Amino acid sequence: MNTNIRLQITDCRLQTIDSRLETYTGKALRTDNTHKFFLFFVCVLYSVFFVLSNADAKIYIDITSPGIRQLPVTVTAKGTARAKELEWIAKADLEATGMFSFVDPDVPGAEIIADMDVDTHNGLQVVLSVIDQIEGREVLKKRYDASKLIIRPMAHSIANDIYKVATGKKGVFRTRITYLSTLPSGNKGISLMDWDGFNSVRIVTRGLNSSHSWTQDGKYLLFSAERNRKWRIYILDLKTLKESILYSSKGLNLVGGTSTDGLVSFSSSRDGSSEIYSINTFGKKMKKLTRSFGIDLSPVFSPDGEKIAFVSDRSGGPQIYTMDANGKSINRLTFEGSYNTSPAWSPDNKWLAYSGRIDGKNQIFVVKSDGSETWQITMTGNNESPSYSPDGLFLAFDSDRDGERSIYIMRNTGEGQRRITKKGSQAMSPRWSPYFNE
Amino acid sequence: MKKILIIALLVFAVSCAKKYTKPYDEPARAPEEPISEETIEIEEEQVEEVEIPRDQRIEEEDMASREMTAEEKAQQIFQDILFDYDKYDIRAEARPVLDSVASFLNDEKDLNIAIEGHCDERGTNEYNLALGEKRANSTKNYLVSLGITPDRITVVTYGEEKQLCVDQNEDCWQLNRRAHFVVLK
Repeated sequence: MNTNIRLQITDCRLQTIDSRLETYTGKALRTDNTHKFFLFFVCVLYSVFFVLSNADAKIYIDITSPGIRQLPVTVTAKGTARAKELEWIAKADLEATGMFSFVDPDVPGAEIIADMDVDTHNGLQVVLSVIDQIEGREVLKKRYDASKLIIRPMAHSIANDIYKVATGKKGVFRTRITYLSTLPSGNKGISLMDWDGFNSVRIVTRGLNSSHSWTQDGKYLLFSAERNRKWRIYILDLKTLKESILYSSKGLNLVGGTSTDGLVSFSSSRDGSSEIYSINTFGKKMKKLTRSFGIDLSPVFSPDGEKIAFVSDRSGGPQIYTMDANGKSINRLTFEGSYNTSPAWSPDNKWLAYSGRIDGKNQIFVVKSDGSETWQITMTGNNESPSYSPDGLFLAFDSDRDGERSIYIMRNTGEGQRRITKKGSQAMSPRWSPYFNE
Repeated sequence: MKKILIIALLVFAVSCAKKYTKPYDEPARAPEEPISEETIEIEEEQVEEVEIPRDQRIEEEDMASREMTAEEKAQQIFQDILFDYDKYDIRAEARPVLDSVASFLNDEKDLNIAIEGHCDERGTNEYNLALGEKRANSTKNYLVSLGITPDRITVVTYGEEKQLCVDQNEDCWQLNRRAHFVVLK
């Protein structure tokens, strides 16, 4: 039973152009070489034609079962000179999951062979064929057609498709990560990059920026910034890069997270001490959720929208708490150590990652949302600000283990830790995007 | 006449100094005699160009000197006050500084200030912002308790975002755990 599907896909990406502006001021004829970055969207229309050879696809790797085995695969690309690039990027994506072992094309043993036929003469055309070696049949054939030579997003799309064949699940190789990057002024701006650290662009350069959070549709970024001594919460349209104020009051206002039903959780010290509030994305219907003398902040909605995890120093030092989304039934979750902050929910609501202080350093921990189990998953340097990928397989975080702080990713078990921004990039606080509608 | 000339020169020098601060140029020139003769000539020419009424000149001079003293005073008095790790209560040793800041604000009724709260780098960024705000607020509250109107004090936190010192030791961390005073214009 064959299913033929034709899709039209618009691939929109931020691109950067670097131009030098020269300014002459006054008698002194001072010359400034200012780098101005212009951001704009490049939309590439590409069509996909694919054949799924049977409706009930077989699952090669059951990622829900413990102790998963590695699937032996062969991934090859042939065609023009850029074909190898596609192959490397797709392989790096798959390798990061820890679920695949790669077998050379001329060596037997692969259970799945993914072959790319690449043509770069006019834009970029790829025909992907995925063959089940054991059953000796083609399980996926797909044609990708892009009007421009967009190697990286194409490779990530192909990796997503191979991953889908192998696991039956959606891959995160086309998702993005926002993070704080240090501007020449020393202030922190906000940047956006691919999940593997490539194609980084600055999207907020004004003021001093801090916490940030994606809306669940992936279209907006909420962020907190200090401008003229006022900490406000802004909402940024990621397509137009236009921003507006979502919430402003005296004191410190820091955005926490968002819920699937369009609510934003944040902390504000408008009434003196920092308390947790929720508001909708239009800046309306504000509700005050906590009332305590000390510091309450970093509130994040659980993915099912039922609970909010947050940080409070009501017991002395900062600890992680959970409560119902209406502020009821507050429950302390962390008891080990005296400094636990930055909670992040796993997409299945079962785990929370956080940053905890042990032996004078901050490390990433994961705790079951009922508090029954805790694991430390980083060991070297200071590791902070965990954020789950939308499939829950990976965590992004920042670390100073190689000197200046940089962004790293790892699997949710702590395996496969690697730096994805340049050494010494002074990058921190990564926030993983939701899935985009491709 | 000589006095007026000197005042005019002074005004010129002050206004010059404001625009171009070149502290290293002048001592280098001074010892060379022939050049100093030349400079006198130039100064005389410039005096002719300056045609400001005497009253205005004196007023300008007064203004300049008053500004300088207020700033100088603020610079002397506005020392950072320091905090314990993860704490925001005012230490006993900070009280003399706060008392002088309060009396300065009582003398200079037209001036407003900002208090910036800062933290060392060991905490996590968001919690440090909240902690920095607590430090700035307890500093403000202390000044208010000494009779300063709350409206005159703006509070802002920078958490660990503006470090004075970047070494990894307690001396350095202590310098960063501070409340800093700024005169608002």
